[in-house]
This record gives sequence, structure tokens and C-alpha cells, in this order.
Amino acid sequence: MSCNETIILKTRELTREVPKNGSVIRTVDSLTFEFNKGLVYNVVGPSGAGKSSFLRLLNRLDEPTGGEVLYYDKPVTSYAPTDLRRKISMLFQIPYLFPGTVRDNLSFCCSGKQEFDADFHLRRVGLKAEYADMGADDLSVGEKQRVALARSLFLEPDVLLLDEPTSALDPTSSRKIEELILSLARELCLTVIMVTHNPDQALRLGGKGLLMVKGKLIESGDTAELLTDPSSDLGRRYVSKELE
Amino acid sequence: MIETGYLQVLASVALAIVALILTFTKSIPVEKEIAFGSVRAFVQLIAVGYALEFIFNSESFWLVLLSVAVMLMVGAYTAGQRAEHFKNGFWIALIAMGIGSLVTLGMMLALKIITVEARYIIPLAGMIISNSMNATAIAFNRIGSDLKSNKLAVETALSLGKNWKDASRRYYRNSVKAGMISILNFLKTVGLVALPGAMTGMILAGASPLDAVLIQLIVGYMLLLAVTISALISAEMSVRKFFNAAEQFVG
Repeated sequence: MSCNETIILKTRELTREVPKNGSVIRTVDSLTFEFNKGLVYNVVGPSGAGKSSFLRLLNRLDEPTGGEVLYYDKPVTSYAPTDLRRKISMLFQIPYLFPGTVRDNLSFCCSGKQEFDADFHLRRVGLKAEYADMGADDLSVGEKQRVALARSLFLEPDVLLLDEPTSALDPTSSRKIEELILSLARELCLTVIMVTHNPDQALRLGGKGLLMVKGKLIESGDTAELLTDPSSDLGRRYVSKELE
Repeated sequence: MIETGYLQVLASVALAIVALILTFTKSIPVEKEIAFGSVRAFVQLIAVGYALEFIFNSESFWLVLLSVAVMLMVGAYTAGQRAEHFKNGFWIALIAMGIGSLVTLGMMLALKIITVEARYIIPLAGMIISNSMNATAIAFNRIGSDLKSNKLAVETALSLGKNWKDASRRYYRNSVKAGMISILNFLKTVGLVALPGAMTGMILAGASPLDAVLIQLIVGYMLLLAVTISALISAEMSVRKFFNAAEQFVG
């Protein structure tokens, strides 16, 4: 069985309502979807579509106000949040490294472990072994994002949630991270769910795509098809940049 | 020993008037606060003087307890006002300051440093509560601002499978330390930068400097314990307010 035949994550009528200016708005609106193991998913849509809000519900960083998320067919609420987030790890737009060295950061999640092969973890994200003893503050944003990625991978997650991880990077570093994500997904049979506001980036990453507008899932399918020949009116308006 | 009476107090009002004139001429908008504060301090302290005189003479345990309870409530209310980023600041402050005061006074009684007399309990409780109040207020303020401004760091830790305690440990520690900074500075500089209040009061009242120093040492260690307990409890209880049972940051 190839690694992408298993459904690893499902959302059913997932909804999140938040108070705003005296009223309540739905940042995620009745979103139902299934994510397969080992595939790359691009969550695209205009600003304020609820892409990041959706991502935060998947590893229970926020609580939905309706619907549910299932991880291996069990509601995420049935797992201890700490265990769940080790399996569904998340990387933010701006990488945050804890004070200390790169080595300290790599082992942050497992402070009990005395020995680990820092070289292996760094090589996996395209960094040399010498980085291990460098201070976290001495790295560029691109290097920090790679270390943050290595730190998440240290946990051996099944799902990697990426919230616009390249938006703070220059185009060259951004491309390198994209290539890295693709190779890691293949190599580790990792499900990658990445929020991006950049349709070109989603096209480069390929895989599957979800188009969100005002909290709703408008359409989904192959990323290339979704972004070149959308079937819905909102999809066509998004592609023609009318919704930005 | 200096003579103190209402005449001397009235003469000292001249000092407040000079402060008022100085700020007024420099257009510092505090003249109302100086005038109101000076009158209020006068009325409050005279009233407290009479109340203490009555309590000391009555030797009633319940009156002592009532006085300490009132001090605690007012202190907890004042510290609770600093809990801008979370609810129930008053109750957290009351528990933190209450336990800090009880343990400290209890140990002083158990170690026979003091006896159960109003003239010991009330002034010492006053010092304990006022210092605990400041420590609690600072801890509240620090934990709120630190957690709010470090949301990314906290959520990064949570996303890596850490629980709320681990994710906020650094800010909890900083908050306790901030609450204790005043007493720690006091212990470092006591006698070198300024003579502390209890010691100054005793010397002004005619006690020998050596006796005053001994009392001041006891007061210093007493405040250290009370402040430590209050800062620890208030930081621990307030940091919990920023997380829910699902280990989500809700600050």
C-alpha cells in the first residue's frame, strides 16, 4: 500500500465563530474535507478567507465552535493535546527559535533525551553540522525556518501544518524551502498542509489544493487545475485576482 | 528624642506645600493629587492612630483579626486592579497574599520571634501585606504583558507538544522574579543606600541603633518570605488563566 491511500485527517462541518466588533463572524464555515497520508495540500484564498484559522483547528491550537476534526478516524479531542500536537506539528509564518543554540532548539521538544544526532537532523533540512552550536539569534530568517522545520521533524510527525512559512523569506530562500518540503513529504510520507497567499507558490508545490473564501471551502482538487481552470464562479474570480 | 505633636505635624505641612509650589510652577499636573493626597494621608493616619490605640487597649483577638482582614482585602483589591489581562485578580491576590501573610506570621509565632499581641501582629501584618501587595501587583502586570507579547513563542512551544506549564515557564519565572525584585534590592542595599522605615522609626523614637538593626533584620527576612510566597502563588495562579484545559493559549 502506498503511503497516500490512507485518510489521516478529516474535518466534518468544521466551524469556528469569533466575536468581532460586537457581532460574531465565522472564520471557518462548515468545512468538510479529507486529507490523505503523504500528500501535499495547498490552502489558498484571498486575505481573510480563514486559511490560518482553519489550520489552527487541525492541531487544536484553537477550538472549533462546531463540527469536528478526526485524526485516524478518532476525534482530535480524544487525544491528549500534547500528544496530538507532536503528531500534527505546526510551523508559523515567522519562525520562533528559543534562546540558546540550534542544538538546544532541535532537542527542545524532548529535553529528556541526552544524545541525538544533530548532524542528521540538520542535514535533513539542508544545513551543515556546524550549525548545531550556533546561537539561534545568529541565523538568518531562512536558516531559522529550516531549524524550526528540523525541530518539528524531530518529533516524527504524521502531519505538518505550515502557515505561510516562506512569506518572510526572499524568493531564493523561499524556493529552497518549497523544494525541501516536497522532498520531505516524499521521503517521510508526510502529509503537508500549507497555507499560502501566493498561487504561484501553490502551483510550484503541486499536489492538492483547497480554495477558501470567507471561511467556506469553495472548491478543491488538483492544485494545477484549481488554479488554472476553476469550476466555480468564486474560483474564477480568485484566479483573476478579483477577490484580493 | 524629638518632640512630636500636632504642632510639629502642622509645621511639616510646609514641606508638602513646597512640593505643591514646585510642581505648580513647573506645570506638572499633580497639584490636585498632592493637595488631596496630603489631606487624605493626614485624615487616614490620624484615624488609624486612634483605631490602633483602641485595639491595643482592648486586647481583643477578634479586633486584631478584623484589622488584618481589612488590610488584606484592601491590599488584594489594589493588587487585583493590576490584573488587566485576566479575570479574578482580586481572588488570586487575596489567596496569594493571605497565604503569604499567614505562613510568615505563623512561622514568626512558632519560632517565638513574636507573641500574639496586637502591637506586634498589626504593624507586622501591615508591612507584610503592603509588600506582598506590591509583589503581587508586579507579578500580575509582568505575566500579562509577557505572555501577550510572546504569543508566538508560547504557541510554538504548544505546537511542539509542550504543556501549558512548560510553554509558559520562562514567563512565570520572570514574573516571580519581577515581583521579588524590590525585596531583593532591599536586602542588597539595606543600610548602604538608605535606612529602612522600621529602623528609622525606632531610632527617631529613641531606640538604640543596634536594637533597631536587630528588629530591621527580622523585618527584612519576614518580608522576604511573605513576598516570595505571594509572588509564587500569584504568578502560578495567574499564568493558568491564560490557558484552558485543552492546552490552548487563550490570553
